[in-house]
Amino acid sequence: MTTIARLAARLIRRGFLIMLILVPGLSAMVVAQYRYTFSDPADVRSLQMLAQNPAIRVMFGVPMALDSAGGFTVWRTGAFAAAALGSWALLTATRITRGEEQSGRWALLLIGRLRLSSVVAQHLLVLLGAQLLVGGALTVAFIGAGAGARGALIYGTGVTLVGTFFAAVGTLCAQLIEERRLASGIAAAVLALALVLRMVADGVDRLTWLAWLTPFGLLAEAEPYAANRLSPLAVLAVVVSAVVGFAVLTAASRDLGSGLLTGSGTRPGRFGLLRSVPGFAIRRVLPSTFGWAVGLCTYFLIIGLLARSLAEFLLANPRFTDLAAQAGFAGLATVQGYVAALFALLAIPLGVFAASRLSHDAADEADGRLAALFSRPLTRSRWALVQIAVTTAAVVGLAIAAGIATTTGTALAGANLRLTEALAGALNVVPVAVLCLSAAQVAIGWVPHAVLALGAAPAVGGFLLTVLVDTFDWPNWLAQLSPFAHLASVPTTGPDWAGAAGMMGVSALLAGLGIAGFVRRDLRG
Amino acid sequence: MPSLAARHAIQTIKLTKRFGQTLALDQLDLTVEPGEVFGFLGPNGAGKSTTIRLLLGHLRPTAGQAWIFGDAAADATAAHRHLAYVPADVALWPRLTGAETLEVLADLGPGIDRPYRDELVQRFELEIDRRCGTYSTGNRQKVALVAAFATSAQLLIFDEPTAGLDPIMEQQFRECVAAAVARGRTVLLSSHHLAEVEAVCQRVGILRDGRLVEVAELSDLRRLRFTEMQVSFRGASPDLEQLSGVPGVNNVRALSPSRLSLTLTGSPAPALRFLASTEVLALDVREPSLEEIFLEYYGQPVS
Repeated sequence: MTTIARLAARLIRRGFLIMLILVPGLSAMVVAQYRYTFSDPADVRSLQMLAQNPAIRVMFGVPMALDSAGGFTVWRTGAFAAAALGSWALLTATRITRGEEQSGRWALLLIGRLRLSSVVAQHLLVLLGAQLLVGGALTVAFIGAGAGARGALIYGTGVTLVGTFFAAVGTLCAQLIEERRLASGIAAAVLALALVLRMVADGVDRLTWLAWLTPFGLLAEAEPYAANRLSPLAVLAVVVSAVVGFAVLTAASRDLGSGLLTGSGTRPGRFGLLRSVPGFAIRRVLPSTFGWAVGLCTYFLIIGLLARSLAEFLLANPRFTDLAAQAGFAGLATVQGYVAALFALLAIPLGVFAASRLSHDAADEADGRLAALFSRPLTRSRWALVQIAVTTAAVVGLAIAAGIATTTGTALAGANLRLTEALAGALNVVPVAVLCLSAAQVAIGWVPHAVLALGAAPAVGGFLLTVLVDTFDWPNWLAQLSPFAHLASVPTTGPDWAGAAGMMGVSALLAGLGIAGFVRRDLRG
Repeated sequence: MPSLAARHAIQTIKLTKRFGQTLALDQLDLTVEPGEVFGFLGPNGAGKSTTIRLLLGHLRPTAGQAWIFGDAAADATAAHRHLAYVPADVALWPRLTGAETLEVLADLGPGIDRPYRDELVQRFELEIDRRCGTYSTGNRQKVALVAAFATSAQLLIFDEPTAGLDPIMEQQFRECVAAAVARGRTVLLSSHHLAEVEAVCQRVGILRDGRLVEVAELSDLRRLRFTEMQVSFRGASPDLEQLSGVPGVNNVRALSPSRLSLTLTGSPAPALRFLASTEVLALDVREPSLEEIFLEYYGQPVS
């Protein structure tokens, strides 16, 4: 390996190890779970019928080989695994290329004989290699857990290609845009669009061809464990090569520190919201809140549009309702039950959003941007409280937006869901996001290098814990550790007020602990 | 203690900071009086920035205490009413313009003189409609300088404020410091720049390895000032003993058979007259740093 490649490997190693364990590990668990959930072939046939429903297809893709452990696992986890790997790939790509360049460190690398395009290419190659290793481990995990080798190979290759696609997209965005956060945001928007295209392709019969326009669709078209087709993967490989080539070419034709789409550096001042600490905090949170709102509203609009079809299908086929419960989707038979199940999932993006806001704050501190503010008559505790309050307000705003989007969808589809029900369901998960926010504040106070990881843990880790406890019948007290155990299925039932109060109480304690740590430690940067 | 410290713009008592095993600042006792311009000198890693960040409350002391106009440095709301700060490496929000940044800093600050700020923007030739992400190091520094000079703060703390500025802007900086002092402000200036410190400071402190080794008036400094000269020549060497006797000449040493060095205080004329009889090939004159002057005087070698 060259020095640059070793440097790039060093920059990605932590996230890489997490992906290397998480993606293959969880898939292997689901493969193992399949044997005892669907031991009866009749159950498999029923599940196959359930999976013909458009709503289920939109959420998880078109199932192809539910009669095999491999096929079931691909259907159940494929979209999530590919999306998780793709998200990591694009965020890492912008971080190790544009982030490093923006910090000025690449100016040092380029003192030597290297050209900018070569540095970009080497970073990207290391990241592509990381995708290959994760994909390889995924294949091995499938085979090791007892699923067939051919399907495992097709699936592993497909997931690798999705990961490499988003690594390349992230790198390309980093060449076009001179600011890392904006580059990450645009690359993430590409991923969200790719997911929505896949959902539409799977849900609308006339638009199935759209699957060929998105890496997630191409992965599905390869039909691991069913047709095991190579042609969609070949198409994806060609597209990935093209994006990689374009990213490197773009790097060759720009200046260090600039982006190809660098606009004019000047604009008239806009002074709204700059005149107070809360105002400034609101102004900082608005652009990313807007981006998350667009993504969440699109998703929940589609969920709302599909609510009626799924509920009617399940009402007509009560046996499937039981099966859906066994497959992990309980209470889907009514529109209310269906949206309640999906609103529980809303806790994850809201929690990640909250954690990411505080991790931006931690990055601002590390880069020295807070030094100017903390040289003013502004205490750290006030600053932290304002950030927490403003982020909480943004989380509530996002939940309301998701609720409105869902009722808009159900109203358009003629399903019966009141706005108050949708809002109650969406707001019901806010305490989980607040828990994430306060965990992130603990990280700011005590381990400021791990704000995003620690902050996302209550939502992402809690969700995984719930899934694992359900799958392996782990003891109930373990399940109680997950915030999801304390969420009622709103709007099917009323909220779990005690659970919500408990989460808010724990959040307050954590926030206090985090602020205390932040006040007493040295500022970084 | 605060009531006593209230008379001082800055006071530290046994201020100490450890980073793990490293002792970054060792029992600093420093007092800066209101209206004074105090220069803070020392090699890289001596603890200058650590001291400043302790004064700002950005770092928490391991031991000892600091006060800003009598308010404990840890109490940001009280202590920061008195001060404005320009760091060595100014980091700004890349998507805000210069004007927007100035607005944020003004409204969170201890109060601001807006007409004076507009004048400063002109004087520093700052393009305030540019996004900060497109600013050079010098321009970011100008934003911080304009924000600091325009405040009504009584104490201005500068950490290497002119590192990225061109000589014309450095001149502007000195004039602004002079104007601030004329308005009764106190200035703490950390710098490597001999000329800058000489131009603006009244008193100078030298920090080495986390310890304050000397504090002296600038007038003492001027008296101590010397230049170091190296002479290359062809043929016979001048008589070194006689050369040592020339007024203003000290520390004469032969570096090689055709090269010698000496230090000069005051006018170089007698030394040059003496050397006129030698066939001089080259004269190399170097102005030592302020630290070297002090340490030479106090007999401590500069590492």
